Order: sequence, then C-alpha cells, then structure tokens
Amino acid sequence: MAVCVAIIGKDNSPKFLSSLNPDEELCFQYKILSSLDIVEEKIHGVNRATDNRELFLGLLYALETHKIYGYVTNTKMKFIIVVDSSNIALRDNEIRSMFRKIHSEYADIICNPFYIPGEPITFKSFANNIKNIMTGTV
Amino acid sequence: MRSSVSYILSSTTSEPNMSHPDYEQFTHDHAALLILIRQIGSQLKSKTFYKFFDRISKNNNVKITDSTGQVRNIFIRYVKQHPVENNDWGDFQTHRRLLGLITLGKYDTQVELNEICRVHESLKVKYTSTLYDSRCILFGPPKETDSPVDISSSSDDNTKSSDNEGDAANRNPDDCIEKYTTPSNFKTRALFYSESSPCSDLEDQLIEFIHSLFWILESKRLERSREKLERVSLLLAPFEKKDFVGLDMESRNNKKRCAGRMTKRLGDLCLQAGLLNESLVYYATAADTLKTINDWLWLGAAYEGHCAASSIVLYPNIQRGTGLHRNASLQEGSPKKIPTSPITNVTDIGNLRKTMTNLLAPEEIAKKYREAIIHYSKYQNAGIVETEASFKAARIAVEQNHALQAASFLQNVVYINLTLSEQEKIERFETLADLYTQIGFIRKASFCQRLAATRYVSPQNPSPNWSQCYNLMVQSLPGHRLTLDPVEVKNNDQGWPALQIQLLQELVVAAKRMGHSALATRHMTFLLQTMWKHLSPTEQKELCIQLQSLAAQCEGAPVALVLDSGAIIPPANLTNIPICQVFTLRSLQPHLQPRKLKIMKQDSGPFLFTPIHFGSLERNSTEPKTKMDFLWVEGDLCSVSLKLLNPLPFELKVSDMRLLSSGVVFESIPETVILPPDSATLVTLSGTPKEHGELELQGYSTHALGVKSNCRLKHMEGFLPHFTVQIVPSLPIIEVTTSLPQSASFSSLRDFDSVITSASLSLYHGENSDCIITLTNKSQISIEYLEISIQSALDSRTQDKMFVWSDEAVQSQLPIQPGGSATIKLNLYAQASFIAPLQGTQDLNSGTFGSSFIGSAASAGPSSLPSRLNSPNHSLPGRRTDISSSFRSSNSGHSSTTGWRSPANLMLPQNVFSSLVEGQLQLRYSGGPGFEAEQCRTCSVFFTLEILPSLQVTNWDVLPADTPSHFYLVLDIANLTSQEMELEYAPSKTMHIEGHESCRVPVPVERCPLSKFKSLYTENLEETKSESSLDLDKIYSEHIAELVDLKWQLSATEAKGKASLQGITLAPSMLDIVGMSPILWEIQINGSLVKPQEEISCEAGDCLELLVKVTNCLDESLHQIMLCVQFYQDYENGNLNYRMEARLAMTGTQRYPIACLDPQQTEKYTANVIFFSSGQYKLGVKCSTPENSTSAITNENTIGHLWKFIPPVNFIVT
Amino acid sequence: MCDQSVFEIFHSELVNYVIQNNETQLKNTSKTHGEDLSNLEYIGFSTGFRIIERLTRELPRFRDELDTMKFICTDFWSAIYMKQIDNLRTNHQGIYVLQDNCFRYLSKLSNTKQYLDLSPRYVTFTCGLLRGSLANLGIRSIVTAEVQTMPSCKFHIQVQRN
Repeated sequence: MAVCVAIIGKDNSPKFLSSLNPDEELCFQYKILSSLDIVEEKIHGVNRATDNRELFLGLLYALETHKIYGYVTNTKMKFIIVVDSSNIALRDNEIRSMFRKIHSEYADIICNPFYIPGEPITFKSFANNIKNIMTGTV
Repeated sequence: MRSSVSYILSSTTSEPNMSHPDYEQFTHDHAALLILIRQIGSQLKSKTFYKFFDRISKNNNVKITDSTGQVRNIFIRYVKQHPVENNDWGDFQTHRRLLGLITLGKYDTQVELNEICRVHESLKVKYTSTLYDSRCILFGPPKETDSPVDISSSSDDNTKSSDNEGDAANRNPDDCIEKYTTPSNFKTRALFYSESSPCSDLEDQLIEFIHSLFWILESKRLERSREKLERVSLLLAPFEKKDFVGLDMESRNNKKRCAGRMTKRLGDLCLQAGLLNESLVYYATAADTLKTINDWLWLGAAYEGHCAASSIVLYPNIQRGTGLHRNASLQEGSPKKIPTSPITNVTDIGNLRKTMTNLLAPEEIAKKYREAIIHYSKYQNAGIVETEASFKAARIAVEQNHALQAASFLQNVVYINLTLSEQEKIERFETLADLYTQIGFIRKASFCQRLAATRYVSPQNPSPNWSQCYNLMVQSLPGHRLTLDPVEVKNNDQGWPALQIQLLQELVVAAKRMGHSALATRHMTFLLQTMWKHLSPTEQKELCIQLQSLAAQCEGAPVALVLDSGAIIPPANLTNIPICQVFTLRSLQPHLQPRKLKIMKQDSGPFLFTPIHFGSLERNSTEPKTKMDFLWVEGDLCSVSLKLLNPLPFELKVSDMRLLSSGVVFESIPETVILPPDSATLVTLSGTPKEHGELELQGYSTHALGVKSNCRLKHMEGFLPHFTVQIVPSLPIIEVTTSLPQSASFSSLRDFDSVITSASLSLYHGENSDCIITLTNKSQISIEYLEISIQSALDSRTQDKMFVWSDEAVQSQLPIQPGGSATIKLNLYAQASFIAPLQGTQDLNSGTFGSSFIGSAASAGPSSLPSRLNSPNHSLPGRRTDISSSFRSSNSGHSSTTGWRSPANLMLPQNVFSSLVEGQLQLRYSGGPGFEAEQCRTCSVFFTLEILPSLQVTNWDVLPADTPSHFYLVLDIANLTSQEMELEYAPSKTMHIEGHESCRVPVPVERCPLSKFKSLYTENLEETKSESSLDLDKIYSEHIAELVDLKWQLSATEAKGKASLQGITLAPSMLDIVGMSPILWEIQINGSLVKPQEEISCEAGDCLELLVKVTNCLDESLHQIMLCVQFYQDYENGNLNYRMEARLAMTGTQRYPIACLDPQQTEKYTANVIFFSSGQYKLGVKCSTPENSTSAITNENTIGHLWKFIPPVNFIVT
Repeated sequence: MCDQSVFEIFHSELVNYVIQNNETQLKNTSKTHGEDLSNLEYIGFSTGFRIIERLTRELPRFRDELDTMKFICTDFWSAIYMKQIDNLRTNHQGIYVLQDNCFRYLSKLSNTKQYLDLSPRYVTFTCGLLRGSLANLGIRSIVTAEVQTMPSCKFHIQVQRN
C-alpha cells in the first residue's frame, strides 16, 4: 500500500501528485524531489548499468520512515512510489505490479484528447484510479 | 546502510563532547601529520594570520630520505583548530593525534612578548599528550632588524606518556641584538620576524620542523614494529575503557584482539610515515585477524585504513577543500590509471598490484568502506568516526565519479545519531550540500542547504544567525529551479510550485528577521508575482495581506537591491495585482487630432487600375501592429485606457499609476483608483508628451499593496511588447462660439466627430441672417493658418449661396495670438425655389393651375432635404400650352396694373413644408511647430437651418402690356406663413397678403431684348427646334428672374427677404410675349403713324387706308410668316367678337403670307377698310409662323410663333 | 481484420476533410497557397505522441537511438500497418531512411505512376505519426516522405541534435 504516488514529466516538473495523507504532502514533495536526483543518475549517469533494460528502477532511497521506488518509461516519464517503511509485507513484485498499473493508467490518460501532454493531470477519474492502486483495491 | 544489529551498548560515558566531527577529512588525511597553527594575542591581524596560514599550508608535502635511503613522501595537514578530545582517539586512528603546533603572535613590547610565550606554553600543555614539537613565530615591531635571530630554547618536557619525547635541546637565551627576549621559561623554538619582512627562510624552518616531527614519528614506528605481537597491550578507543574491565586478558581472543589492534596501529603509523606498501600489508593482516574475533570496531578501522591506503595509491592527486575548484582534468580518476608521480618508496613502478599485493581495486574500496561503516554503526559512541568515515568514503566515490555510491554514503550520514551542537549540525549539512553538489545532485544539495538554514535559526540554537540562514536559503534556490529574477522564472516553469512557495515564504521570514525589511518586501513581492497561478485563492489573499503589512515597514520599489554580500536581487514587479486585460492607446478626440495639411494623392504607380494590391492590405489588417495609426500632439493630453481586474476578494487601492515610456519625454499624470473586488474596471492614464518624435509606451507603473511595480508589457502575457506612437509638434487649439443658439440634436452626417459646437437658426425663404463665429485661441501657440470650408448635402451652387463669408476678412485676422480671437461673419441665406412644383393633373376649370417647372438641380441627397428640390431636368410631360390661354381668357382685357385679392377658388399649394438644411462649417487651422510639420487640426460647427416657407409663386402667366416694351407677369403668390406679409413686387408697389392666403399680382417686366436671344437663331438650325425653344425658355426665365425682384416683409416678426423667380418656366405661348418681338411694326392709318394707345376716330362709311410695315429685326431671315389682320369688337366683358362681316368690309386679304422675311427687310401690306356701323373696334395685327410645318429647306419641326402688335389699335367709329 | 479497413477508410476521409477545409479557407482569405497539409501532419503528430506511450508500455528500455529506430521499424510499424519496414538505412549521424515497399494507404490507390501527385496527401499523416512518436521518446526530428513509385514509400527521418 503506497503512501504517495507522483508522476513527473520529462522536464522534471510534477504532473501529478497524490498522497493518502494530505498533510504530509509537502514533506513528500521534498523527498520525491531529492529522489529525482537518483533517478537522473540512474538513467543518465556515467556509471549506469548499461544492460538494465527494465523500466523499473528499484529502490531509490531508503529513508528512516519511507522507502522510495522509481520507474521511468521509455518516454521519459517518471513514476515515483513512496511506501511506508514499516510495511515489510510489500514485496518487490507488488511494487512492480503497482508501477505497471500506473503505467497503463497513464497510457490511457495520454490518449484522452482533452489532456494536453505536458500539463498537470487534473482528471478526477485518473485520481480515483491512482488512489485505488495506492490502497490496493484494484 | 546502517547495521541492523542493535547497538552494542557500550557504557555511555558522561562526556557529552567526546569529540567533534571533522567534516573536511579526506582519506588521504590518514597519511598526514597533523599540525595546528594558532594565533596568539589580538595584535596580529587576522588577515595577516590567514596569509601566513596559507603560506605555511603550502608546505604539505615533504620528501624525506630515511635512514635506509628510501625517500618517504610525507604529507602534512594544517588545521586551525583541534579539539583536545580528538586526541583521545589517537590510539584508534593515529592520524587524529596532533603532532605539531605552530603559533603566531605579534608584539610591541616585552610584556606582550612574554604574554605570547606564556600562552604558547599553555597550549603546549594542553596538547601535551600527543604533541611532538612546536614552533613559535613572533612578529616584532617594524623597527626591528630584519635578520632573524634564532633563539631557541629547549625544554625538558615532563613526559607523561611514552609517546611524547623531548623537544630540541635546551639552550639558554644568548645575548642577542634585539631588546626583546623571550622569558626564561619559554622552552620552545621561537622564530622572530618582523611583520613586513618577507620571511624568506620561513619555509626552510618549517621543513626542518617537519623533519623533526618525522623523525620522532619514525622512531616510534620502529619501536612499535619491533614489539612482539604477543606481548602488546590492548589498544583502546576512548569509550572502550570500561568495556574491558574484568575480561580475561589472556584468552586467545584477547590475544588476537591485542595483536590485531596493534597491527592496525602499525599500519597507521606506516601510512603516516610514508610506507604505503607495508601499511597495506598490515591493514590486510589486521583485518583478517580482527574478523575472526568479531572485533567490529577495530575491524572497521582496519578496513578503513586499508581503503585509505589504497585510495592514496590510486588517487594521489585528489583535491581537497571546498574552496578549490575541481580541476577538470582530474575529475575522472580513472581507477586503472597508473599514477604518474612516484609516491611510494617502492622502487619498481610496474604493475602496482604485483608490488602492492594488498592494494584494493576501486570497487573493493567502496565495498570495504561500506562494511567499515556498517561496523561503525554498531557502536553508538562511534558516531563521529562513522560520520567522518562516511564523508571520506563519499569523497572517494566522488573521485571515482560514482555518484550513486557517493549518494548512498552521504545519505548514511544523516542517520548517525550524534549529539551535535547546532553549529556542528549546520556544518554537517553544509558539507553534505557541497558534496551533493559535487556529484550533481543539486536538488538534494539544496534540500540540505535549506536544512542547514533552518538549523541556523532553530530554537535550540543559542545564537540564531538569520543572515546566514538567509544566505543559505538563497543558495538553495537554484536547486528548486528558482532564480530571483521574475522574468527568468516566467520563462522556465519547471519547478515544483509547492516547494517553491514554501521556500519563498521561509525566505521572507528570514529576511524579515534579519532586519532587512526591504528585502522581505522584495521577496514577498517575488512570491506573489511568480507563484500567483499556483496559489489557491485563500493563499493569495493571505499573502497579499502579509505583503501589505510587510510593505508598511518598507515599501517595495522596482529597483535592484544590493546586499552586503554583493548579491544583487533583481526587481520583482507585481503584474498580477491588478491584472491588466486590455491596454489600448486612444487616439485624440477628432477635433484635436492632427491631420496632414496637404493630402498627397496615393501613388499607385503607372497603373490606373490594377487588381493586384500592392502592399497587400489583407496582411496588414489581420496582425495587430505595435505602431499606432494615429498621431499624438506634443503638449496635449494623450491617454491610454486600461482594463484592470482585481483578483482579490477585497478592495484594492492602486495609487500613483503612471505610464512607462521611452523615446521622447512623456510626462505621465498619476492616477489613483480603487478597484472593487473581482471585477474589471476601466482606467484611463494620461500624459503629455513634451517633445515630438517617436514615443514608445512600454507599460505602466502601479503602487499597490505598498509595493511599487513597473509593469512592462513585454513581460506580461497576451500583449505586444510595446506600442509606438508618433508625436507631432505642438498645434494650437481653438474654441469656437457662435452668436446663434445651439441646436438640440445632431443628425448623422459624415465626418461628424469634429463638431465642437452647433448653431441653429430658422429662416424664411429668402431671408438672410448673419452669424458671428468667434474663434478663441486657447493654446500657447499662435494660429497662422486657417482654412474655412462648408460641407453639406446640398449642391455647391446652393451651398455657396446659403453660406457666405469673406475669406479675406478672415485671413486678415491671422495670425491669432495665444488668447486672442478672430471672428468670422457668416451670412446665411435661405435659398429655395419660390416656384411651386407640378401638382399633378389639374382641372382646368377649377382655376388652379400647375405648371411644370425645372427645379434647381440638386443632388438626390439625404431625405432631410425638401423633396421638392429634386426632379430631373428633362421630363416635361405634356406641357400645358393651353393653360395660359384659358388663363388669359378669364382675365382678358385686364390690363390694370393693380392686383386683386385671390379669389376663393385659388387654392394654396398643399405640399410645402418647412425643411431642415444641415451643414458643417469646417475649420482647419494650424500654427507654430505643427504648421512647419505640415499638420493641422480641424473642427467644425454644425449648422442647422430650419427653412420656413415664406411665399410661393403658385402660378404665373404673362400678359401683354400696353406698351410693346413691357409685359405683365402675373403671379399668384401664396403667403405660406401665418403672419401678414407685405410684398413689394415692383418699385413702390406693395401688396398685403394675409397669413396662409394668396393673391395675384401683376408685375411689369421689360421684355427680353432681342440681343439676348438673337444668338439662338444664328445657331445651327439643324438642332431640334424644341431644344432651341427650351433655350429660349431659359433665356427668358433668366431674364425675368433678373428683373423681377420681390421683397417681402413679415409684419409680426420683422423678417424680410427676397424672393426670386429663378426657375420659372414659360409655356411656349408665353415666350412670344416675354421676348421682344423680332418684328418691328409700323402701322399707318391713312398715312399717319399709329401711336400706341392712340384711338383712331372715324366715321362709319369712311374708307381707311391701312398700311402695315413689318420689319425683321433679327439677323436671320424668318420664313413662312403669315401676317394676319383682324378686326374685332371687344365687349369688355371678356368676349371678343370676330364676326365683323356685317360691320365692316376690308379690301385685301386678311391673311398675307410672307414667304421669307430677310433681315432688315420690310414687307408692306396695305388694305382698306370701311366701317359700316358705329361702335368701338379693335384691330389686331399679328404675324405667325405655322406650327409643325416642315420646311423643305430646313427640314425641321417648328412650333409656331405669334407676334402681335401691341396694343391693338382702337377705332372709334361714330 | 475488419478494423484495419475501418482505419484505412477513416484515414482517407480524414485526408478529404482536411483538403476540403483548406479549400474553404482559401476561398475566404483569397490567399494563394500550395496545398496546406500542415494540419494533417499535426494530427499525425498528436496521435503518434499519445499512442507511443501505450505501444512501449511493455517493452524494455531502449538503449540508444538505433534501438529506438529498430523498434519503430518492427513493433511500431506492425502494430499500425500490419507489417514491418522492409528496409532501414542510416548514416549513423542522425539520418534514417525507412522504406516500406507496400505502404498500406498507397497500395489501394495505384500500382503505377498514376495518382503520384496526390500521394503526398496520404503519407503526411504517417510523417506526423513518426515525428510525434519520436518526439515523445525524446528524439526531435524532421520527417519527410518520398514516393517514387506507388505503393512503395520512403520515410526520411532527420534527427535534430543541438
């Protein structure tokens, strides 16, 4: 069960952010912003693993209270999931499947003619779906 | 990274400050000798101290040849401060021990010198546990000789610990040349310099000092290395002292422990002494040993040492210090690169791995370091070591260009649980930020900077430093994709708005607490400006209120602020409060607009017409242009209208709004406006250009919420970057007043805008009146050029008659000085046709007669004009040729010259209404510099003339008069007013006509002389005769109009005027009466000439001889004339009796044809007549040409002419 | 199978609509232009931009530009046109030529030189499609098409590096 999900665009500006606890949102924003550095490094860094063909980047940061996972699509959209550290039951595979679901949601939304790529996503149905993915009720 | 093993609970000692972390450590420092340089006393300026510090620090690498001839590479590390407690860790890691001390001091007197020496000694005592040697550099007063004298003194140290050996030998102070001596208990070597001296041997002295340190170290190392491992004592880290109490010292584990620890220690010493290879061996051995016994702490230390040594081998040129720029060529510390400088004392430099078997490969360095840190993390009290180790590892990773690894090491730092003072925490974050920046993690770096900033002012901080906090926050801005320049922020919008807002708010708070209220205001303005669209409405409102309160202390202004640190904060302009939606330049009012004096014809080249549009008009109309089409005038009030929207939910007062401009000088008038919430308001900003040329309007400035902003259009969305207007030189302004009252309403004539006043008047037809127009020059420029013209819908002829003024009179009044005035006397004349129009088919017997007419040719203009003024020139259907005859028949014989009142059956014309004539008097004026620039202004006066009908000639007829030179023009004149009219129709003949009544007046008129129409007959006779008769008609009517002058006067209103008979038409039968007869009659009765009005008496039965001579007075010959002589009796009651057969007898024919009468030819006709009975007889003699006779010669249709001898001859027969 | 023909018909209708729109606009503004297919290209661009997300969802990350182009030639083309690109050539400096010997939209038009002058209309959409897809994958490019004999078509992709 993710605590926060963020979708970040090609230019590293936030397109969508949703968290279960709105009070912590600012705090999450900071954390996610910092984790972008790691993402950038993993994608573009000199020492990146050249044979990593996966879109899933794995654990980016393990903070005291949260863990941050990253995923970058081929179109350079970045998805970030923040998970509570105390939630040890959440395995890697579950995280991957969450990312896949988010990716398919995103692919759907980009085909929506009312959505202009590059702008923040403000669709209610999208937000609802992401919330469902976060809480695992999909 | 931290180990999941719970803390190994070493006894928590009560020393809170066990040691202080040194964030600047590199792994290479493991191999360095630590020397402290301190300043003593306050005499020495800190700048000098730093200068010397830098100078001394340069000697950080010394090559010393040891006793075996091996060259050792010795590194030295110089620090400015060193907490004593760190020395306690010297056992654990030898590089932490302070080995050397250098102090600098300045003195001017002996007392000061003594004081410096005393302090030095106390410092020595402080560090005595580890200090090997010290030096004291003393700067004496400038008067000193510059040759340094070496006065050294030795000391007998009371060595408590075996590590500290004695200093250089004692030497008593010799007699020296200076007056100053060190005190007697000063046991350190002192170097005397004068401050200004170049201190040339300072370096040598230092090198010698380092040598001495080295030898001490070397000796210790050798001593250690000779010890047997089995018998070594246990080395302890400071907090471990209590752990090993009561442990079995003889167990194998313990032995191993001792041995391992000592091996590690040896490794340290070798490293410091420059023996890299051996240190590697020792470390490896120690690690293996300690691993077996799970001595985590020292195992970690061994690993760390191993990594340090390897890194020194692999990356010998690592740059240290945050102040230094990383040399680009050194960035890629390619791990496989063979170091170029021989740094070890190993003689063969081949494959390093072969000679240094324990050398770690770079990946292994990282791995081992990680393990070391994990081991450290198991110990709660080893936090400092762990922290420093993390930093060192990160620096290695940076050197290896492995950002992720470095990041993970750095991340670990934050989790280390240390009790740090606030300053240390700040330093920690700053170091973290710096390292993150080095690996390119700018966001993380700015995050750390922000944390450091908050630490500066946290509640636990005893000395909050807001300015530092502020500085750090400003430094963290780029990481959040923010700069302080609003224009840049607008361009790249990539940041995370929520975080940016948070940061800016913190910045505002910091600035405010710093005391720099201008800065606080500036940042708040910046926040509102750049983050406006990301703020929610409540936030917007709150922040605005905050801004207001901030600005109350210090107003915001659009200037760049310069901070003490030299940073320049660019201005932030609030363009969102209020939002400008429309910015349009307004042209001047039409009567003030400058226009070109001479309108040049548009040159479209050689083509008269072309379907190709050169200059493509369509393109011009679609794009909005920045250059305005209209012109503004220098010195005049020009305005721009803005539509402002107040986005806040409360009322906003915007004061001091001006226009921003460049180009010519433009004085803008400030405006203040209060905008109601959530609505758009139109505001007009005005200004006066003070010069002529091109003016560029770039925006406007506001003062809202206490902040002054310059809102430039080029930074605002949806606007062109600027607008340019051409300013023409100044022109005068006039004010126009008329002597007439103003009219109530205007109609829609073209060019209506420049009307500035109006005048209305009502006139009767034919009446004229004067209107005085006064022009006052209201400006400071004299008017040099004035042009007057009239514009109306009338045709030019009528217009010229109706509006008359004298141009010369006007021009003579120029130039009109400022404040002066000129008058134009305009004469208004109600021109109209007095002739009634055709009134359709009439009943002949009813006594009303219409007549066709030719109206004055007026254009088919707007419907406001009387409709009677339009009819084409050529339709003359069915001319009533018999009207006149019947008219005449009912009035036959009437030759009195008095008119009579209209009979009741003379009806008034039905459809004559008053009409409205509108015209504009246009004034074009110019003067001064505007005149030189060929510009002028136009304004106009709108005239409304109500034309009331006065009289109308409803009918007319001609009657022959008694004399052949005149005829009577009988006019039916209708008085269309409601007042009594007095009509003068002939000199000294007047008639009174009641209102709305008509009367008949006979007007004697001279017959049209032959000269006027003779020319007709000389023209080409092949034209149709109808035309020629028309021309005759016109000539006659002109003749009549010239001669007839009707003056009327209304008795009630005293209005008077003239009526002209312009446009009167004559039926063909009238023509002969009007025009002089071309035939010259001469009638003789019995040989005597008959005079007009003469009565001839004779007796019945007398034979009278009648001789008629007819002379053709024209220049042309007349053809086919029938001379007709006829007697008749006039019964005086309108009856004529032509049947005279019984009354008289005539010889000769009654009709005598004359085939052709040449010019000036005379024909005679004779006849005799005898009257049978008495009575009154008349003789009518006439000549006629037949109608519709086709002359074989001329082949034309003629209309008959009839010329009579007037008056008929009267015969009285008795 | 039937949905493919639906899209073909839809595509032809799209081309017709755009051409007609152009003509009415031409009448209104009385500007004389060549055939304005930029609208059609933009439609293709927008479509490509959006659809590439869906198409690359399950695929592993592309290593480099060449990898991306190979994907275009194989998976992408078969997803849309039911076949792969027949020939890919590159000069390794940013120019790629994709050759399709039987381009689906042109194959129904003619087999010879007939209607050659009308062929640009039918390949513009695909040019935009390629440009949009590449743009979303981070490759800015200019895509043009060249038709010499129907129904074979070559797409020239010029990658813009700055």
